[in-house]
Amino acid sequence: MVDTDNVLKVENLKINFFTRKGVVYAVDDISFTLKKGETLGLVGESGCGKTTTVLGLMKMVPTPGEITGGRIFIDGKDVIPLSENKMRQKVRWEKISMVFQGAMNCLTPVYTIEKQMMETIQEHKNIDRLQAKKCIINYLNLVGLPEDIIRRYPHELSGGMKQRIVIATALFLEPKIVVCDEPTTALDVVVQAQIINLIKRLKKKLGLSVIFITHDLATEAEIADRLLVMYAGKLVEIGTNEQIYGKQELRHPYTEKLLKASPRLHEKVEELSFIPGTPPDLVDPPSGCRFHPRCLEAMERCKKDEPPLIEVEPEHRIACWRNYHE
Amino acid sequence: MYWKYCIKRIIYGFAIFIILIFIFSALFNTTMESTLRSQIEEEIRGETMRLDTRMTPEEVTNYIAERRKFKRRLYHLDKPILSRIVWRAINVLSLDFGKATIMRSSSGEADVWIIIAECLPRTVLLFTTAIFINIVLGLWLGLRKAQKAGGLMDKATSIGTMIVYGMPSWWLGMLVIMFFAYTIKIFPSGGLHSIPPPTGFAYYIDLLHHMTLPVLTLVLIGFWGSAFLIRNIMLGVLQEDYIMAARTRGIPERKVLYGHAMRTAAPPIVTMALLSLLASVGGNIIFEGIFSWPGLGNLYWIAIEQNDIPVLMGNLFITTALYIGGLVILDLIYGFLDPRIKVGGKQ
Amino acid sequence: MKWIDFKAGFRDFWNEFKRVKFGLFGLILLFIFILAILINPYIVPFPEASSRWRDITYWEDNPVSAPPVWVNWFSSTKRATSLIIEEHAFSEEKIEKIKLSRAVFEYEYSYDLPPLDIIFHGYTIGSPVIMLSIERPDGHIIELVRRPISKSDGKEVRVSIGKDSRIESYNFGAKFENLEGNRIEREMVKPTSILFSEAKEGILVHPAPLKGTYKIIAEIILPSENDVVEDIYFTFSGGVSGWLGTDSSKRDIWSGVVAGVKWALLIGLLTALTAVSIGVTYGVMSAYLGGWKDSLMQRVFELFLGVPLLPVLIVMSAIFKPNIWIMILMMSSFFWVGPVKTVRSMGLQIKEETYIEAAHAFGASSSRIIFKHMIPILIPYSFASMALYVPRAIVYEASISLLGLGDSTIVTWGQILHDALTGGAVLNGLWWWVIPPGLFIALMGMTFAFIGFAMDKILHPKLRTR
Repeated sequence: MVDTDNVLKVENLKINFFTRKGVVYAVDDISFTLKKGETLGLVGESGCGKTTTVLGLMKMVPTPGEITGGRIFIDGKDVIPLSENKMRQKVRWEKISMVFQGAMNCLTPVYTIEKQMMETIQEHKNIDRLQAKKCIINYLNLVGLPEDIIRRYPHELSGGMKQRIVIATALFLEPKIVVCDEPTTALDVVVQAQIINLIKRLKKKLGLSVIFITHDLATEAEIADRLLVMYAGKLVEIGTNEQIYGKQELRHPYTEKLLKASPRLHEKVEELSFIPGTPPDLVDPPSGCRFHPRCLEAMERCKKDEPPLIEVEPEHRIACWRNYHE
Repeated sequence: MYWKYCIKRIIYGFAIFIILIFIFSALFNTTMESTLRSQIEEEIRGETMRLDTRMTPEEVTNYIAERRKFKRRLYHLDKPILSRIVWRAINVLSLDFGKATIMRSSSGEADVWIIIAECLPRTVLLFTTAIFINIVLGLWLGLRKAQKAGGLMDKATSIGTMIVYGMPSWWLGMLVIMFFAYTIKIFPSGGLHSIPPPTGFAYYIDLLHHMTLPVLTLVLIGFWGSAFLIRNIMLGVLQEDYIMAARTRGIPERKVLYGHAMRTAAPPIVTMALLSLLASVGGNIIFEGIFSWPGLGNLYWIAIEQNDIPVLMGNLFITTALYIGGLVILDLIYGFLDPRIKVGGKQ
Repeated sequence: MKWIDFKAGFRDFWNEFKRVKFGLFGLILLFIFILAILINPYIVPFPEASSRWRDITYWEDNPVSAPPVWVNWFSSTKRATSLIIEEHAFSEEKIEKIKLSRAVFEYEYSYDLPPLDIIFHGYTIGSPVIMLSIERPDGHIIELVRRPISKSDGKEVRVSIGKDSRIESYNFGAKFENLEGNRIEREMVKPTSILFSEAKEGILVHPAPLKGTYKIIAEIILPSENDVVEDIYFTFSGGVSGWLGTDSSKRDIWSGVVAGVKWALLIGLLTALTAVSIGVTYGVMSAYLGGWKDSLMQRVFELFLGVPLLPVLIVMSAIFKPNIWIMILMMSSFFWVGPVKTVRSMGLQIKEETYIEAAHAFGASSSRIIFKHMIPILIPYSFASMALYVPRAIVYEASISLLGLGDSTIVTWGQILHDALTGGAVLNGLWWWVIPPGLFIALMGMTFAFIGFAMDKILHPKLRTR
């Protein structure tokens, strides 16, 4: 059955890292979907598995990592059994592309912008130089950059410029899915705002389906339609923006803490709350619910059994035993 | 930007060379002068031989004194020490190294510059060939090691690098000669070519035949090191984010490796190659001697044995010039290959 | 730096180092070398090799250019091994006032080629007369030498049968040889080759070895009461000698090579230590001072960098003929440039760290900041550098010695190789002279390469592969 609504469907994805110290269960049984034109936000602490998940979507998990289970349907087709060659030629960049974090180091320092972008286009599309160049300039204009920037080398450009180039490069093959991995983290606030606005505009104009990763909830609120909260390699909450930022009782304790940890501009804050403890070791994760050692509302059951995603409202699921009612 | 960089480097190079020439001239002044004095006496003696025999002993003595004074003035020996040093340094810069005391070039010339100029191309020929082969082999092996880093071949070849690290090239040369030239007599034990040298095409074959053992020795010692360094450089580059980014964009592995990775690694690799070439300019006196290869290094050895100071000095000056020149060229090439220097900073 | 911090840091470093197998191997090799220096007198037959390298009398009894003893294992013609026999059967007779001593030494000869010489040693007082003869397994007894010793109050006496019994040996051989048609000169035949061959035709021309037990007899006439001869022994100078053979000056190469170990270690370590210390301090100061001082230091550095080191060292050695300490000084004064570039960039990075700023704010002095904060971080790199400089220094010294410009009062491997070259070792195929010294240079280089590369590997975890 062709799934016309979902450009991306992930089922029970598992990614493990086989290190000298043991197996790291970096991404443990994650399932979610991405609808056409939707922006899905992916939030969580550093090391919770966000980047690994999206790298897994492109089958670019770095060694010693491997995808050990699950299925990934991009545009209706499972990409996991695909060969590396097929993946490179048909899927990467054409179906799903990525805007990296800290565009500092994503551009090869010894090639001009033109060369790098041209190489990417010509690798996927059978068009001549002139047409390719037109396409490049078109998209550069779209992100607000002048034509002559193609003659520059990456080190000559500011962080904001480089980020825009990375965005343009991610878009010009018109992929179905665009993943943005913390694209604004390394930039200063003013430039951050510019980039966010740019992404919002392009989203609308080109009808993009976006996965947006960030650890900054404020950005997430602005740009995402739905939110995925990850913790220690597991999906702990899925819901729309309104649902998650809305009713307090219906939140996962971790999400609760995340929200409380960012100060509000319009509220008086006596003390910033924080989440006690440290992220767990993924070689030997805690039993039961992985958050239970740091959860103030942990029950007996939490230590023993892993909670499944329980639907508390339509389209709002939480993996927490508190919400489990027989 | 790049031009500014180039000019700066060249000026620095010159300045350093000139300073070093002065230092050397000062350091070895006494030795060179004593040689000069004996040379002057030789000349005067020769002149006296050819004098008119009708002159009285008094006139002869006067003549000698006159000639001596004249020559002393000619070679600035009557001036204070500082101006002597300066004069000698200026001579060096204009490639006037004086005359050799004993040695002669193959055409019989005593002019030190001619003797040196004859030997220079032979050294260049030998070492550029060897380093070229080293780099090619090093690239081939180094790349493989970087791709399968930590694997058996990587570890084994690294051990090889360490084994030859402290091995003097000339000792290995001795072994190679003892084996290939004396035990199984398939290669000549040294020299540039057979005597008498063959003509035409056979000359080049003969030359290659004579080059084989020294080049073989140099490669045996050298290519491990270059493979190891290239492996490290490439490994460093391959771990960079932009390599992963290129792969994510669907660029085929071949282009990622030979294009993005190698192009970025080019400046340090070229630096390494040129540095080993430079090291051979300085460090292969004994090596050439063992193989009787009549290059600059061998010239040193003969000059030491014959105690021919002018040749020794001249050789030292030329070696220094080549060395510094090489360093400057290295900087220029590095700057050219690395756009961060070639094009400069942020706009 | 506090001692506790240093110990802790060292322990961490050691734990890491243990993991790298070849590093441990290098360390073991280093210990073997150091052990060799410590037990030097016990493992070599000529313990004073180092100080008496150029003293001919020390090496007198050795054969010239003899291969090592183990060559016999590989060849079908076994050559006699050099050895010393001290044990003997002793008897004395007294005829009126004259004493006649008789010492009989047994020598097993089972080789194909006889020793080159048999040398009598003794310590005499007065003026005794020494008579040497040999009793062969086939019963022939040949009187070889009769040597009266000039009067003395006590001296070492050395009598060489090979030199002094030509006539006697030749006459013995002539009894059995067919001399018709062949005029064989006495000088052409070695005494020992006659003495140890079968008594038949061909004894002078192509002798067949007579294997068995020989008795070397030393009879000594002591004409007066005060004459004494004691400490008698014989040395047999064989066709093969020692673990590594002998050179053309009869020196035992194994003794020489082992003597060279301490010099190599000294030269290498001292140069490396001095050079790296200077270099690291220079680099850190340059980074720390910054501004025009940094630029100036960099220009000076570039000046040193532009010197082609080996030619300059060689020319300086040729003209000024320095001893080993001056040489170490000269090498250090150029080697220091090596670490400077890396150390300076590391220093610049450290300088940017906020704890340096904090130290400034607390009023710490420059030297305190440099030595307490910056340099300790650079210590691992310094050690790795030092290890990798040792082989270079050793090779440089060997190169200078090879050209004959080295310090001739000491024995280094380079000196031995110089003698090998001038002694025609390469031309005459005396491989045991050429290979060992260079092999040891390579081995010591390998040792420090293993250690240095292991340290380097720990320092660059980025290049770790798993």
